[in-house]
Amino acid sequence: MANLSLRNVKKSYGNAPVIKGVDIEINDGEFVVFVGPSGCGKSTLLRMIAGLEDITDGELRISDRVVNDLEPKDRKIAMVFQSYAIFPHMTVRENMAFGLTIAKASQEEKDAKVNEAARILKMEHLLDRRPSQLSGGQRQRVAIGRAIVRQPSVFLFDEPLSNLDAALRMDMRMEISKLHKQLDATMIYVTHDQVEAMTLADKIVVLKDGEVQQIGAPMELYHHPVNKFVAGFMGSPSMNFIDVHVNAVREGEVEVKSESLEAIWIPSTIEAPKLGDRLSLGVRPQYLRVCEDTHEGKLHGKVLITERLGTETVLDLSLADQSRIIASVAEDTIFSENQEVSLTFNPLQTHLFRD
Amino acid sequence: MAFPTLSLITLFIVVPLIFAFGLSFTNQRLISPKPTEFVGWQNYYQLLDLSFVKLAPEKDADGNLLVDKNGEYKYPRLRTLSRGNPDYEHLRGMREWNSWQLGEDRLYLMARDVVFMKAVVNTLFFVMVVAPLQGGLALVLALLINQRLRGINLYRAVFFMPVVVSIVVVSLLWRLIYDANDGLLNNLLGTLSFGLIPAVDWLGSSDTAMESIIAMSIWQAVGFHMVIWLSGLQTISPTLYEAAAIEGSSRWQTFRYVTWPGLRNTAVLVLIVITMQAFALFAQIDVMTQGGPLDSTQTIVFQAVERGYGKQDISGGSTISVLLFVIVLGISLFQRYLTREKA
Amino acid sequence: MTVSHPDNRGLRLLVRYIVLTLIALIFVFPLVFMVMSSLKPDLQLLTDTNSLRAFLPVGDISLGNYFAAFERAPVGLFVFNSVFVTGITVLLSLAVCSMAAFSFVFLNWKGRDVMLTIILATLIVPFETIAIPLLLIASKLPWLSFDGLTTGWLNTYRVQIIPFIADGLTVFLFVQYFKDLPRELIEAARVEGASWFQIFRRIVMPLSGPVIATAAILKFLAMYNQYLWPLMVVQEETYRPVMVGLQYFFQLNRAWGEIMAYLSLITLPVLAFYLYLQKAFIASIASTGVKG
Repeated sequence: MANLSLRNVKKSYGNAPVIKGVDIEINDGEFVVFVGPSGCGKSTLLRMIAGLEDITDGELRISDRVVNDLEPKDRKIAMVFQSYAIFPHMTVRENMAFGLTIAKASQEEKDAKVNEAARILKMEHLLDRRPSQLSGGQRQRVAIGRAIVRQPSVFLFDEPLSNLDAALRMDMRMEISKLHKQLDATMIYVTHDQVEAMTLADKIVVLKDGEVQQIGAPMELYHHPVNKFVAGFMGSPSMNFIDVHVNAVREGEVEVKSESLEAIWIPSTIEAPKLGDRLSLGVRPQYLRVCEDTHEGKLHGKVLITERLGTETVLDLSLADQSRIIASVAEDTIFSENQEVSLTFNPLQTHLFRD
Repeated sequence: MAFPTLSLITLFIVVPLIFAFGLSFTNQRLISPKPTEFVGWQNYYQLLDLSFVKLAPEKDADGNLLVDKNGEYKYPRLRTLSRGNPDYEHLRGMREWNSWQLGEDRLYLMARDVVFMKAVVNTLFFVMVVAPLQGGLALVLALLINQRLRGINLYRAVFFMPVVVSIVVVSLLWRLIYDANDGLLNNLLGTLSFGLIPAVDWLGSSDTAMESIIAMSIWQAVGFHMVIWLSGLQTISPTLYEAAAIEGSSRWQTFRYVTWPGLRNTAVLVLIVITMQAFALFAQIDVMTQGGPLDSTQTIVFQAVERGYGKQDISGGSTISVLLFVIVLGISLFQRYLTREKA
Repeated sequence: MTVSHPDNRGLRLLVRYIVLTLIALIFVFPLVFMVMSSLKPDLQLLTDTNSLRAFLPVGDISLGNYFAAFERAPVGLFVFNSVFVTGITVLLSLAVCSMAAFSFVFLNWKGRDVMLTIILATLIVPFETIAIPLLLIASKLPWLSFDGLTTGWLNTYRVQIIPFIADGLTVFLFVQYFKDLPRELIEAARVEGASWFQIFRRIVMPLSGPVIATAAILKFLAMYNQYLWPLMVVQEETYRPVMVGLQYFFQLNRAWGEIMAYLSLITLPVLAFYLYLQKAFIASIASTGVKG
């Protein structure tokens, strides 16, 4: 069983805490993505799982075994680094077989495992080349191949696609996804790119400042973010937040309004809303629609910038209180600068947050 | 994994350094049946004690100044003061080092160890001549080599070549070159000048011995510092030179405003390394002049070796070593001060 | 660069080359003199100093001086001693100092930073300041050999080798180089299960070609050209290196021809080695300068 659990894991550098009590459960065969902004601790967390960083407090279990004090090599993990970290003075074959060479495995075993991994990654023709003769994508494959040869319980990926160009990144993303299904292995993947997270993950862990914000399936996080940070982090372009105040309260619903928004009832799970409370109303750009009639919609604003992308038009709008929002409309409509528009949206497709 | 290095360095560098300090306060000999005794500051006193004595000229019974056959004043012999004269106890065992005329009186400088004092003065002289001269020449050479000419690397290799040769080999070779009768220098100069330039006893005359050694030492080592200057020159961004060229800067202006500021740290490094190497002057002396003629090429390290090894006076040699270390340490700290990060 | 008339260009270039060549001659003439003189009998050698013949292989050229030098002193033995001592010291130094540097850069242990500071501090201590007390120590150190426990290391190979195996400069060079290696390479090796020594042997050292060359060259020059220490500690002929062997040649009857032959013999191999690898030699010195 290649499952993993972190229980109240903490890490501090001296007196400065970087990981502040993290609980995560990962099941056998899951593809879990740690995502978050720079400095949130996702790489540190991954390195703690790998054994490259100490765990100050808490418990880390791999396959139901506590591994806090085990060396990386004893944890049955394999890691793919952001810079690939393949040894420049060895051939591809020697790179991939390195772990076995260290463990003094027989030549047959090494050949068998290396060839198998090369077959999976379709790189048999590269085996006798040196890293300097390989492209970025090929080197990435060597790094993955080396991980596969280890036959680990858990694969760890530390932002492996960050150093590749955009087109290659998409190809490799699909490759990794296929690999996951093929090997049926547990994989933990760190990235700052939420698109990678959304497309690859079975489960996403959103981190900020060393704390877990939310754990769940991609769509779960997309449609039901628990806080403003997660809501703003997932989805691109990111969610708009409009400052509103509570106008009226009903059971399970709150009426909100603002300078630019006419009163509107929103289903709410906010605890104990009171009249006059200031809240944040979150609406995704894709869920805003421009009304033909400028009096129809409840949200009023002025178009500042128009980006016509052919299939959609992205509008940068300014609201009455000088705040800016983005709307992504599906038609190829032409808007003029400073045109006054009104927007409408479905209250069910919004989120309310206390700041 | 660091254990072998740490223990070796401790045993062969740290311990001897500490021993040097400790031994300087004893009367340790290299091989001796007698136990070593603690003697306090005596070794330092023996080496460093100096005294000024002002003497009035001798007068005859009537109070007239006595004059010797050259017409110069006569002064009491110093020996009368330094050999058990109860009025001048502190001068016992000291000898004359130098003297200057002050009007009628004469000011004598006496030292307890005149040879050592001469060694110190010679070494300082060597350092103060070699440091700027060698450093400056090395810079000139580096500027010459820093041109984009075909084959410039060949010249660089040639300029550097003497560095690779042992200073001992160089010293012995130049001994023939400097030889008074058969030396290459004298003979070539004589031939080229059709006999106008007379032969000079370069190493045998106290006027020229040290200077000859200076010239030879610079010849051998200047390539080393040329390379250090070169690497400093090459860290100056070429775009700075281009900007200066666009501004119409002359060669000298470019050097003064672009090159020199970028070389400041290198300059400090070069000077410090030359200085520290210069204080260690030994091999040339040992091979060429053995401290002579007339102690004009005595140096601090030569004295240390002569005592510690030659006379088996380990404590004396150690004392000199300590003094040398203090000087070198002072210079290093001064360098750190000069190259500190300015806030 | 100032714009100059086409005619001027060629002239200016020529002037530069002339200046450079004149300077080069200054650096080269003593060495040429040395080699040429080694091939001439004493009498001719000395009279040739009157003219440019000193630099030319003219007259009674032969290897006679070389043979005579071998008669006067056990030159072969001296050369062997020098090569042996230098070679062993360089090899041991590379191994020992690189291991220490690895430990300082990649391992974490108590007192590590203090120890490294101390080692780097020894860079300031010139050998001459510790030579005398070291002499005393060397004369009293014990040694276990096949004959049992002996005291005193004088007149041996070990006294010429062991004190110089570990030195601050070599450690410093390796430390600087190791610090620049990509950290992820080391981490990948750790994850793959390599022990620290395996990482040292299989990953770090194979990638350390440049610094090994630099350290080896600097150490080689320092050891081969050493004079003060072997002078003091090796009196017996059996263990004398080449530089101290010189003493055989400036006794009372000075045979300059033989001296020149001996000097050429011990210098030319190093010079040849240098000219072949001069880029590496010069780069070695340059790198110590930059890091200084």
